[in-house]
Order: sequence, then C-alpha cells, then structure tokens
Amino acid sequence: MVLFMRILVCIKQVPDMENPILIDDRHAWIQSDEISEYRMNRLDEFALEEAVLIKEAFSGTIVDAVSVGPDRSTEVIRRSIGMGANAGIHIATGSEGYHSSFEIAAWIAEYARGKTYDLILTGAMSEDNMQGQVGSMIAERLALPCATAVIFEKIAADKNTIYVEREIKGGSRDTLELPLPAVLTIQSGINTPRYPSLSNLLRANKLELAKIPITDLAQTASREDLVQMVYPQKVRAGTVLNGTEEEKAKQLIRILRERALIP
Amino acid sequence: MCQIMQNSIIVIADHIDGQVSPVTYELIAFAQKLQTSESPAIKVLILGAEILNSAREIAAESGLEVVGFEIPPMAHYNGELYRNVLTEHLLAAPPAFVCIAHTSPGLDYAPSLAMALNGACIGGIEDIVPAEDGICFARPLYGGKVMAHIRPISATTVLTIQPGIFKPCQHTAETSGRVAVRPISIKPRWWHSLGVKDGATDTAGIAQADVIVAAGQGFGDRENLDLAHQLASIFAKSAVAGSRIVCDRRWLEYGCQVGVTGATVSPRLYVACGISGAIQHVSGMRGSEFIIAINKDPAAAIFQVADICIVADLMTFIPTLIEAYQNIRDSGMGSKLFSPIPQPGST
Repeated sequence: MVLFMRILVCIKQVPDMENPILIDDRHAWIQSDEISEYRMNRLDEFALEEAVLIKEAFSGTIVDAVSVGPDRSTEVIRRSIGMGANAGIHIATGSEGYHSSFEIAAWIAEYARGKTYDLILTGAMSEDNMQGQVGSMIAERLALPCATAVIFEKIAADKNTIYVEREIKGGSRDTLELPLPAVLTIQSGINTPRYPSLSNLLRANKLELAKIPITDLAQTASREDLVQMVYPQKVRAGTVLNGTEEEKAKQLIRILRERALIP
Repeated sequence: MCQIMQNSIIVIADHIDGQVSPVTYELIAFAQKLQTSESPAIKVLILGAEILNSAREIAAESGLEVVGFEIPPMAHYNGELYRNVLTEHLLAAPPAFVCIAHTSPGLDYAPSLAMALNGACIGGIEDIVPAEDGICFARPLYGGKVMAHIRPISATTVLTIQPGIFKPCQHTAETSGRVAVRPISIKPRWWHSLGVKDGATDTAGIAQADVIVAAGQGFGDRENLDLAHQLASIFAKSAVAGSRIVCDRRWLEYGCQVGVTGATVSPRLYVACGISGAIQHVSGMRGSEFIIAINKDPAAAIFQVADICIVADLMTFIPTLIEAYQNIRDSGMGSKLFSPIPQPGST
C-alpha cells in the first residue's frame, strides 16, 4: 500500500522555435551559439502540470523534475519548481550537441532505478528532436508498463492502478488500466499548465539542484550516428511575394482572382 | 545462437476497426526502396483479433507473404501485446529492418520493440539516403526547420515512416502472397484495455469547406482570431480551422483542428496564418490544391509546402489584405482590372 507517492517528471529545454535554426559549416549540428531564446518543451509543461495536479489531489506526494542537457537546462528545472515541483535533478551533458533518445532514456533510467517512483511522466514528444521515444524507452529500461499520448489519467484511491485515456485519432481514445508504478507520456490539451508562482520561483532560485554529470553514469554505446544536417527541400513552388504589405496584398488578390477563388 | 537474416525487412501492417490503413502500402513501397539485390523477400506481419481478411487483402494487393497473429484478447490496440508478440517472433530470426507507420500505435510500440530487439529506433522518416558508409534515414528536427540524416549502428533497426510521403505500391500483384495465420494465446500482464471511446469532435465544418483559413499560435490571443474569421468571410464556402496549439489553448474547438491528431483536409485553398508548419500540422493539409502561407518567421517550415509565401506579421497583413480587397471591390474597378481567367471545371 503506497502511502506517499513519488512522481518523476522529465523536462526538456528547447530553443524558441520562432527564431532561426542554422546548420553549422560542417553540416554536423546546428549553430547553438546563435540561439538566444530557450524555453520548456511544450508537451513537458503539460506533463509537469499533470504531476502537480496529482500532488494536489493526493497529499504528501513528492514531484521531482529531471532534465538532461547542458548547464542552460537548469533554467527549466527551476521553472518546474516554480510550477510546483519539489526538487530538481540536472543530468549534465556538459556541452551542446546531439543525443539520441536512447542515450537520454538510459541516463534518466539509471538515475531513477531504485528510487521507487510510482509514476514517471514525460511529454509525448520534444519539439527539437521530435522522436517521442524517451518515455517508452525509460519504461523498457526499468521494466515498467507504459502508455503514450495520454490525454486523461486518474489514479485509483488505493494508488495501485491508474486509469488512462490515450488519444488516437479524430477525438477517439483508447481507454485502459495499468498497474503502478508506470510511465506515461503526456499529450497536449490534458490540462492547462499554470504559470510559476512568485513564491515557488523564489524557492526555486535558492534550492540546490542535484547535479549528475553523464560521465558519472554508465556508458551506453549509441545505436545511431548523426551523419549530417541539411535544410529541407521545398515541396511546392514557394513563390515569395515582395514589396510593402500593400503591394503584397494586391499581388495576392490578383493571384486569388486568377484562380477564381474570389470574385 | 540465432542467425541474423542480413538485409531481411519486415513490415508491420497498420490497421484499425478491421480496415487496413493506406499507410501499410506506403510502408511496403518504402521497404521495396530499401531492398538490395541480396535482400530476401519482404514479409508483412499483422496483429489483431480478427485479421484473416486483412491479411489476405494485403497478400493479394502486394504479392508479399503475410503472417497474421490472431490474438483474441486484442480487439483494440494493446501496446504490451504488440511489443511482446513481435519481440518473441522477431528475436527468433532478427531482421535488419522493421518498418512501422509513424502513427498513434506505431509511435507507441516502436521504441519499446527496438529496445527489446537491442536495436536503434529512428522515427518519422521522410527519405532514404544511400551513403557509402551505410544507408541513412532523413527525419525532421527543430519543428521541421532542419533535417538530420541518421545512420543506424545496430544489427536490427526499427524505423517509423511518416505517412503521406512514400507513394504506395498501387498494383494488385499477379499472384497473391502466401498467408499464414497463427493463433496466439497470450494475456497482457499490465495493459488492460477497456475499449475505445469514440470521439465527439465534429470536423464536418472544415472537411466540407472550399477555402480554409487556418490559425496558428501567431495570432497570440483568442480575440485576435477575429481576423481569421474576417479573412474567411471574403471567400465563398469557407471555414476557419486551427493548429493543435490553438485548440489546446481553447481558442477554437478541437473539431477545427487540422493535423495528424485532427482532421486531414484538401480544400481548393488553404491559407496558413501564423502556423509554423511542423509535420504534425502539415500532414493534415498537404493535399490542399493551393496553399498560401503567412508567417513573420522567414524560416518557418510552412514555407517549404506553400505555393505562395508571404513573410509578414499577420496582425497587420490580414487587415491590409482585407482593406485592399474591399477597396478594389467597392471601387467597382475590380471586374475591369482583374477579370478572372476561367479555370477548367469551375462554375
């Protein structure tokens, strides 16, 4: 019988996607130096909010936030505490660069092993790597049940099982029950993420985060090689309209008329 | 010690409610592109509760051998059963590649299957890139602004393939492939399915529109969506749709969502306003006849799939556009300056 639950939420810091992403000269990676703005991965916000909602529903619940990344990642760990996480763990990669989902999952799983988390949450997918694999891979490493793209969850009163709805398509949902402990990857729209509170943020700034350099963790041989980075190719004509806004507007109206889309 | 079947390729059929999804034939076409002269024949696997008819359909359509796993408790998708049944079967003769659709079920079981097979897992593949040191797979990163070429370093690799990219193998083969169905007696330990809840989202409004004005997070606020409605009103048979983010923020109902978890639309005109153009959205509208994109980010991925690219702040451009249109229309000059060129088939 679980008295007090422990939840681990995996958070990623990603670049603000509205800014340019440039490839470096050797086509080996992106120009990290050129990125000025970072924020929390959108789907991880939903995962964190869900953890805090569970914490509020089941008193005594502890929420830990973990992030894998360079030192700049500590910002999203502190934001997590600002949103209501109790403590933060930084798995420090020490530098910029590509890490596959497998490596990231292996590190998080090694940290989590033996810590008796009842629930591990991740966002369903990151905006930068776009694989949606880390949660499932953590579950596999820890031999835990897992469900992805979760749009609704409800932990049973005895805390032994969790009812889950997974988003499939067109609004339809898989419904299922899993035993706890379990891993869930969270889909957007499950809740409305809160803004960090001032008092929590003040606490976050004072709190010492646990820092684990990846060199302290078991070496995992990567199963893939990033050979090169390229820009995507245009699929359509992509004619760019030039001039002032008024000029572009008039060009567009002419194009729409030519195609009989407006009278 | 099990023999690793060098170059052998497995395709896992994607199906729902007794229907084989079209993406299954795209997977087969992808696998055929992957084949080398040394590759043995591609094999298709299908898992489910009543899969005989679907297995026969795939075998007839593709000419490939289909092995069906008849799993009575699996009337609905079950991630644990997919992972366990496939792992047991594939560990006996590990293939070089397992091709899975980048869809809701595929995304769910592919990573754990890859781990169980000690293999790499490369997701959302949009292209195969042959290379001297070994084949690479192209997939998007950073919201689709860049592509990475990834080479797997493992004997077995699980691949998930983006739907709508690879042209499906169309022809009905001369001879149907062999079909073998195996009854599997297995019960899930963890994943207890309670059925599928049908969606109440009504996408009729956008599915039937001739013109869609789609709003992305570039609008900034729910009130600003008024501009999208104003723009839509200058067109006949139009509707306002939105990206996932806009619906998550409750600016629009989920019934208006275009994208992989929403509706797929193909109107005569799609105007994407303030939409970044990540594949999750693009996959729902790439079939539109004519695509106009308005975004203040000149590097937005949406511009890769647009016919007309307008780099502008939609908050000023849309009002400018509407005003310019009203001026031309009201001045009565319109019909003289811009007589429409009759399009074949238009009324």
